[in-house]
Amino acid sequence: MNKRNTLSPLTRRGMIAFVAGVAVSTMAITSLPATAASDPGVSATEIVLGMQLPQSGAASPGYNKVDDAMRGYFDYVNSKGGIYGRKVRLVVKDDQYKAGLTVSSASSLINKDKVFAFIGSVGTQTHISVIGDINRRGIPDLFVNSGYSGFYTDPKTYPTTFGGLGTYVVESKIVGKYLKDTYPTKKIGILYQTDDFGRNALAGFTTAGLTFEAKKTAVNFIAGTQGSLGLASQLTALKANGVEIVIIAAVASATAIAVSTAAQLGYKPEKWVVTSVGSDATTFQTILGSKGVTPAVSAGLLSGIISASHAPSPGEATDEYVVAFKKINDDFNKGPDKRWDNNVLQGMNIAYMATSALFGAGKNLTRKGLVSYIENNGSKIASAALSPLGYSRTTHEAFTSFWIGAYDGATVLKPIGGTRVLYTTDSGTGPVTVSNYVRPALPVDAIAKGA
Amino acid sequence: MSKASSYGRKNLVISILFTALVFFLSIKLDPYNQGQLSVALMFFIGILSIVLLTGASGQISLGQGALMAVGGFAAALGILNLGLSIWLAIALAVFAALLAGLLLGIAAARLSGPYLAGTTLVIALAIPSLATRFESVFGGDVGLTIDFGNPPAWLTSLMGEVGYEQWQLLATLPFATLALFFTSNILNSRTGRSWRALRDNEVAASLAGMKISETKIFVFVISSGFAGLAGVLYGLRGIVGPSVYPISLSLLLLTGAVLGGIRSILGALIGALLVVFLPDLVEWASASFSPSEQIANYLPAMISSLLLILTVVLNPGGIAHGLHHKKRHH
Repeated sequence: MNKRNTLSPLTRRGMIAFVAGVAVSTMAITSLPATAASDPGVSATEIVLGMQLPQSGAASPGYNKVDDAMRGYFDYVNSKGGIYGRKVRLVVKDDQYKAGLTVSSASSLINKDKVFAFIGSVGTQTHISVIGDINRRGIPDLFVNSGYSGFYTDPKTYPTTFGGLGTYVVESKIVGKYLKDTYPTKKIGILYQTDDFGRNALAGFTTAGLTFEAKKTAVNFIAGTQGSLGLASQLTALKANGVEIVIIAAVASATAIAVSTAAQLGYKPEKWVVTSVGSDATTFQTILGSKGVTPAVSAGLLSGIISASHAPSPGEATDEYVVAFKKINDDFNKGPDKRWDNNVLQGMNIAYMATSALFGAGKNLTRKGLVSYIENNGSKIASAALSPLGYSRTTHEAFTSFWIGAYDGATVLKPIGGTRVLYTTDSGTGPVTVSNYVRPALPVDAIAKGA
Repeated sequence: MSKASSYGRKNLVISILFTALVFFLSIKLDPYNQGQLSVALMFFIGILSIVLLTGASGQISLGQGALMAVGGFAAALGILNLGLSIWLAIALAVFAALLAGLLLGIAAARLSGPYLAGTTLVIALAIPSLATRFESVFGGDVGLTIDFGNPPAWLTSLMGEVGYEQWQLLATLPFATLALFFTSNILNSRTGRSWRALRDNEVAASLAGMKISETKIFVFVISSGFAGLAGVLYGLRGIVGPSVYPISLSLLLLTGAVLGGIRSILGALIGALLVVFLPDLVEWASASFSPSEQIANYLPAMISSLLLILTVVLNPGGIAHGLHHKKRHH
């Protein structure tokens, strides 16, 4: 028999050589000096923070700017001397919105990069795969860019996780009540993605009193498939069932595809209503631009779309936070696309909030100390949002209030009726009420140094 | 002393050596490398399933990732719905994968070469997407969360503090050892020789009195059990879902098998270590010229592709040779 064709299950010499080789290289690895004994990721000169988000793949458009904005703000803080002399270093891992990759890259952030805390990770279905592990290790999991209420409303389950968005339930209850009051006789339908984000939003609209019929006025799609499959069958179902107002609870890339697909199908609902995380104007126009739609046409498609926000609109040129963050973005953001929009504003604000919390937790920075500080000083943490922060010992929800607006022809979200009204509610079944929260003024150097 | 018992003793010694080495590493390595090594052991088991199927019996499967998914989902459903311990869930996973392998094997027995490769590829694409079709059972595209849990009390009282990654590695080790021992024994047995006869010349094997279809199905079943075992261990890292077992996982295992040597157990181990640690090595090697994020993200895949091409060109014992060999005799 030809020797090449024989099967060599195991040769003693080969295995012994292999064993010896591995043993020698292990000795080499383990003879490296050990790191200091305090919490990982914090030294006299540095704080290392880790983040996971889709930098590539179908769900990445728009969100892939958040990390660069955050790093831009931290670089600005570093240029002003850092946090008690410590420079903030942000390590970012691309998980492509795939949970399998989220698990691997979290292990890399925890064990290889030795991050002190996670911050601003993007994505509900991806974060769910690592949230348990991050919490049992006691690693702070700050300001997650997901509005899934299940992450935050029971701090006993996830004691170190804090939200970075208002929950989808709070937002949907507020918008749902507005729709029910304003359009009592219209047929309202919903397009949502089949994960905890979509289902959480659906629950909020239902709590607000809206009713949907599965596959007729409530249609769904698998998150991440919007790009390759399109959303024609879902929109055809809504059209066939005479839906006059369409709510979209999905990522930004799906919103753009849904609205443009409807236009191609000749389906013109009276109103589109889009949840805040899926309604960024720049992302909307960029995605349609890549499909050959001119900015003028995409601005026209966006015009009139109803959405909600916890923050000022990035187009509000006179808002002091918008002005300051925009300047920092121009000067410090080194990302490939730093065009000013909701994602950049959100990234800047997450970093601004984290800086405030890290200052507040004091010079002797520990993981436990940081979590305890945020839990006990939720109202003192600085933020650019027009909504207060809800952090307390009983809930780790971030923004508890939203204002409702509509996009104008210049792609700016403007308050409906001209005057901004802030509404607040909880993630349970509590009522929607008007909030009179007033945001504190911006510190002179745009760095909140804690209470 | 008979030849068979001499092989058996050699295999036992090697399996003990292997266990001792990994145990030594579990104490010496840092948590990151403990985690990486445990993934390498899971891939080792997965690649052994390819060594048995393709290396030994000459059948090609591009769908081992789907059988891993069967194992992962069976275990997750057992843990979440029936409250099984992870050990019972692992047994259930292997059983489910054996069943799936039986069904697949019945179809595979009628196919060969590219037809078999195509069929298994379709299965690799179809099985994970079943999870999104039956969302209420399989958790949709998010999947089901399960994990190895905390290290048991008896282990911590025996060894002191045991980290999560160390526990993951130690929990995986017995299964990797079992897989190693089982594979090295079966390949040296009458059964293993009959598989090789099937691979080298199906007609001659048939003329010698071998039942070709039954043998093929049997190999598929055994190989699927290995894949199911690898799948449940891989899922116990945190989550079982379609994005955990994508088609790229099947191809990654195949890459490991070809790189290491598709007909060798040692090759399976080297291949598994290579595919797991290559990105780290590339990162370490490229650190000095710090490539941009765009390049750094794709560099490991590029290098493993290059290695794959070089292996196939310079070492013709890979899949291409297997196909050529089969064709020549048909």
